[in-house]
Amino acid sequence: MNLQTLLKNNASVSAMIVIITALLAIALIDAGGDLGSFGITLLSGLFQAMLLFLVASGLSIIFGLMDVLNLAQGAFFMIGAYIAYDLQHAEPGGLFDLTTVVPDPNLRFVVALMGAVAVGGALGVALERGLLRPLYARPVFQLVMTFGVSLVLTEIIKFIWDTTPYSWTETFGVRQGTFTLFDQSFSTYRLFIVGMGFALIAAIALLLRRTRIGIIIRAGVEDSEMVEALGINVRAVFTLVFTLGCAVAALGGGVAAPFLGASIQLGNLYLLQAIAVVVLGGMGSYEGTAAAAILVGLARSVAEATMIGTSFAFVPSITPILLLILVLLVRPSGLFGSAR
Amino acid sequence: MSSKLALTLRTNWLPALILIALIVFPHLVGWLTDSSPFGMQRGARVVMTGRSVYWQSVAIEVFIFCILAMSYNLVFGFSGVVTFGHALFFGAGGYSVAILLERTDLHDGQALLIGILLGLGLCALFALIMGFASLRLRGVYFAIFTLALAEMAFIYTNGWAFVDGETGFSISTLPDWINPTVSRLNYYYVSLALFAFSFLAIRRLIYSPTGAVLLAIRENEDRAQSIGYATFSYKLFAILVSALMAGSAGILLALLNKTVSPALLGVGYTLEPLLMTIIGGIGTFSGPIIGAVGLHLLNSQLRDSVITIGSTEIAMADLWGIILGGIFIVVVLIFPQGIVGTWARWRARRSRPQAADQPGVTAAQESQIA
Repeated sequence: MNLQTLLKNNASVSAMIVIITALLAIALIDAGGDLGSFGITLLSGLFQAMLLFLVASGLSIIFGLMDVLNLAQGAFFMIGAYIAYDLQHAEPGGLFDLTTVVPDPNLRFVVALMGAVAVGGALGVALERGLLRPLYARPVFQLVMTFGVSLVLTEIIKFIWDTTPYSWTETFGVRQGTFTLFDQSFSTYRLFIVGMGFALIAAIALLLRRTRIGIIIRAGVEDSEMVEALGINVRAVFTLVFTLGCAVAALGGGVAAPFLGASIQLGNLYLLQAIAVVVLGGMGSYEGTAAAAILVGLARSVAEATMIGTSFAFVPSITPILLLILVLLVRPSGLFGSAR
Repeated sequence: MSSKLALTLRTNWLPALILIALIVFPHLVGWLTDSSPFGMQRGARVVMTGRSVYWQSVAIEVFIFCILAMSYNLVFGFSGVVTFGHALFFGAGGYSVAILLERTDLHDGQALLIGILLGLGLCALFALIMGFASLRLRGVYFAIFTLALAEMAFIYTNGWAFVDGETGFSISTLPDWINPTVSRLNYYYVSLALFAFSFLAIRRLIYSPTGAVLLAIRENEDRAQSIGYATFSYKLFAILVSALMAGSAGILLALLNKTVSPALLGVGYTLEPLLMTIIGGIGTFSGPIIGAVGLHLLNSQLRDSVITIGSTEIAMADLWGIILGGIFIVVVLIFPQGIVGTWARWRARRSRPQAADQPGVTAAQESQIA
């Protein structure tokens, strides 16, 4: 890394720190020094940040390596949520009933998450191999195609599970627990998701920085033709990365399902926010995506804390999209991205 | 003078014939099915029922989608600007008219006029915003920007109490001459006129010098710029014209259904014109029309039908999304040039032996023929 990029990244890092500190200060002032409600804002911000990261990380690595903006990523998140819901619950019809096979709800939740990852990954392989591969030379059609795939997946979900949203009713250990801090009770499940998100950030960072596959992926981001010339099958790496991205999105849906339930709106809702995160962090920069997720999550929860109940109650739900539009107009390369 | 007219007729006989057919269409259907195109007299009131009136409604919806798809094709197909925010214009037009008619104390006629002006003004404003964004953003980034803009309007409208949020509201009063429940036939001719005008306007625009620059921008924007064209103002103009057309399509749909809901701003009204354009043929005049007619007729006919396989009944309405998506994928993968483009290529291939001496046949093709 030469001096110039270091300086530029440092400027971005300091900008991040300033913004996050400002957000936290606003939250603290709004809470009137009450650490309990400040804690709620903070935890809710981190929680939303991690949900966003679960969708955005896949989007980010896929775009970084393949220059494909996968507009079906939101649909994969949604599929993860539905699969996890279906595997965990006995009732409304659905595909599988695991309640007799795996009676322990905690263990069943783990199985449900694995199921979500497996389905997401399988669909990811099929999408990349079957539909996306012929379109690498035509970027506009990639957008159109993934847009269409997201439509089809949504319709298939409607067909299998109907349009009525499901809310999670099954209770199990982690989901039910609460803990008390500053005289305020918090849900353990939120903490679980935050922990899960940070674990995933670390895991993907390790994969990218410390393994041979990671080196190939990073080299492919720089210059995929050169990597191919070195005798490495870049296409197989493309498939791997795409599958990984889709599986992570499905995992995100599964993890979020006990909290958000499963509904048709989930896909579009999270897709745009995830795109906002990826663009804000800088297209193709994985660390940028992680940082931007935290920024957007906190911004949204601070907006919720300060504006719900006022005439600006609509602001929190459009905060991520508003941020996306602003960043695109002011600095399209994002906080950590290099100018393209 | 008369030879000029003859030339015009000789080169435009098909559109002219279709236009005449569309003008007599309600009466023809009425004559064939023995129903009045003006609706049925029931006591002192005229009720809009009967086969002719039904087919008028279908045709009006088709016209609306044709206008929307043509306007989308103008930016996507002719100027090479990929936008995912077309629903914004569509919804802005519909909502403006509905708000003026329903939420203000103005007279119907005044409200309609001001509503249309406000709607088109809003569309122009959004078009300017998108146009200036296109100065900084290209390709994927611009597509995301437009999607975000439309989605923000969608989310905001969903929670906007003044327009009854996600349920939307209905329009109860309209001037009689344009009221589709008083005279469907009048409304049919208004829609037809707007459709024909849009078609002619786009064709006139593309065959003009401005249109040539738009095509050049689509092929290679940097080159068009380096030749000396201010590509930005051309793109802005194309987006503006397209926005105004999409806005008037939105107005037509809102008045036809006499109701507005946030779905007007939803991603569906971006997706459908995109799909119609791709199916018909990107960057062709008749492509979006063929796509819109085919897709909408398929939809409106399938909506009510039920297929019985063995003992299970499947309502086609539930399958519509899957069919739509399936068509989408097949067309993108196999016929990226759409119906019109594939047809033109097939004809060119068939007539190649005779066309060897014509300009435009490349050396490679000539050597193949020889």
